Amino acid sequence: MRSTGLRVIAGKEFNDHLRSRKFHLIFGIFLVIAIIGLVGGMVNYQEQLEDYNQAQSTVSGDDTMSKSYYSWKPSMLSAFNEMSSLMTTIGVILGIAMGFDLITREKESKSLKILLSHPIYRDEVINGKALGGVAAIALAMGIMLVISLAVMLIFGIVPNFEETVRMFLFGALSFLLVFSFFAIALFMSTVAKDSGSAIIYTLIVMIVLSSLLPIFTYGSVYTAVFGQPPDPPESTVIRYGGYGGTYVSSAVSVSDGGDMLEPEIDEAWQEYEEKSRAYWEQRQAVAAAVSLISPTSNYQTLAYAVTNPDMARMMLSSSIFEVAEMDDEIPQEGFSALFALLGEMAKNIAALVITPALFFGLAWVRFMREDVR
Amino acid sequence: MIRCEHLTKVYNGVPAVEDLCLDIQAGEIFGLLGPNGAGKSTTILMLIGLIEPTSGACFIDGTEVATHPIEVKRKIGYMPEDVGFYATLTAEENLDYSAKLYGMDAAERRKRIPDLLSLVGLEGVEKAVGGYSKGMRQRLGLAKALINEPTVIILDEPTANLDPQGVADYRRIIRETAENGTTVLVSSHILSEVSRVCTSAAVLVHGKRVAGGSWNDLAHAGGNGDVVIRVETRSPMPEIVHPALISAEYAEGHMTARLVASADIRNEIADTVGSAGIRRLETEVPDLEDIFLSYYHEEATS
Repeated sequence: MRSTGLRVIAGKEFNDHLRSRKFHLIFGIFLVIAIIGLVGGMVNYQEQLEDYNQAQSTVSGDDTMSKSYYSWKPSMLSAFNEMSSLMTTIGVILGIAMGFDLITREKESKSLKILLSHPIYRDEVINGKALGGVAAIALAMGIMLVISLAVMLIFGIVPNFEETVRMFLFGALSFLLVFSFFAIALFMSTVAKDSGSAIIYTLIVMIVLSSLLPIFTYGSVYTAVFGQPPDPPESTVIRYGGYGGTYVSSAVSVSDGGDMLEPEIDEAWQEYEEKSRAYWEQRQAVAAAVSLISPTSNYQTLAYAVTNPDMARMMLSSSIFEVAEMDDEIPQEGFSALFALLGEMAKNIAALVITPALFFGLAWVRFMREDVR
Repeated sequence: MIRCEHLTKVYNGVPAVEDLCLDIQAGEIFGLLGPNGAGKSTTILMLIGLIEPTSGACFIDGTEVATHPIEVKRKIGYMPEDVGFYATLTAEENLDYSAKLYGMDAAERRKRIPDLLSLVGLEGVEKAVGGYSKGMRQRLGLAKALINEPTVIILDEPTANLDPQGVADYRRIIRETAENGTTVLVSSHILSEVSRVCTSAAVLVHGKRVAGGSWNDLAHAGGNGDVVIRVETRSPMPEIVHPALISAEYAEGHMTARLVASADIRNEIADTVGSAGIRRLETEVPDLEDIFLSYYHEEATS
């Protein structure tokens, strides 16, 4: 039979977090910046909506323009973009601040021996600490969502059911991000001898995951490691700037032998195009693999999918023209569009769930083997 | 109530506790004596289920600790040497948290906590424990050890940081608790403290039990068996010669002497120095500290 330890410890940890000055400070700063960002986002949204309505009346009936970027209907959730970048900085710091001294503080205050002398199982201590932290993070995210909703209502914007669901998904993703870094900090707290070392180790991991790993996906670093993209053959080149790199159109030579212009495929261009496509696909695969390890990258990708689906669809494709190709496969609106997009990002979702689970598992094992001499 | 059977704990090939056997009866105040590093704290950690023995077993009230740690912890009140609490909580909040972990209901906690704070002299102290002196923390540690009304109390160096009043309070509380049938195990390297409160003791050196029993047993078993005799006479005494005499130191013009003999030869001395007018002829009461030091040294040299 399990003791009541888990509930009692989780309750104390939850109260400790809520009474903690560092929690008040960091979360307070986060809320202030988030509210300012939301207000700015709401003002932008209203302006974009006006522009969109004007553009719609101008380009009605034009098929090409109706599929262009300018035809995207602005989403009120785009106001959350500011908050998602805020989450990758202050949210991450909040998670770290909540977790880095959970075990080291017990060691430093010499309360661990007394705590473990109670009739409780050792795993209840680490589980209770994690549960208390999870509850506090969930509360913080809940407060953030409620305040976001309040700001929207103040601006006279009432989200529909789908937008509300997207908001909650954004909250859940933010929770997972903060929890990821909370779990990393908790693990470091079980490994380190004191709180100072624990926070240093956690910051090192944070820098590696958030800043160092993504560097390998940058153009200059990637080309230094994997080589330059193939050079185009010497002929007229039409370049289109697209997301994630430069794309080269199929080049054709035109013969003037009749009434109709018959395009002839240039073999050199075809070969170049194949090589180029392979190069960019490899580069994108490397970038995707590296991004999977980084909770912040996964979070940003998923947060885009939830708050800015059109942009996310474009990011998923290798060129802006593939948006049109994907349009045939992915629904454009409604829940089916959202879930189809999230389905495409299943790896990112899995990575964002696995990261905290992995680090919590490591913390659990380390704590269970802790020597309490 | 507390029983250790060939208890052994080895860290990295080095035995911290070796083949320790103890049997402490209910209601007894038992002292675990030994110098630093003797294995006292390791023994206690095994008794409260925080570490598992390498071999052997220990039992609290008939329950094996290693196999039933939760059941045993319910019966034990423990105060570690370096007692620590949550610095941001008050004494009452710390005790409340502890009581909740013992599964005590709110009504029970409301009654028990003020009583304990009053018992250890911390009633009315509202500040957080972070502002406490070491002595105050030790008092709170004693209250925590009593919170679950344990049948066994285990205290590791309980008076290390207490002021004289705190020590007196501690002795009173421990005696009263033992009178109510609770068994108390006190670990200390301060002999005088253990001898003031404990009814019996065991001496640990290098993880091994080198002596044990009541204070009389320990005193008689201790030392090398030599007898120290003090002699004082009104006029200079003659030289004392006896086969049992090991050494003799004379002073004040042969009017005082300190004799060390292998047996009590006071009668023979009285016969020899009687003509000088005997003012004092007695054996020296063995010094407890010396006896225990002899235990430590014997083990160290062996």
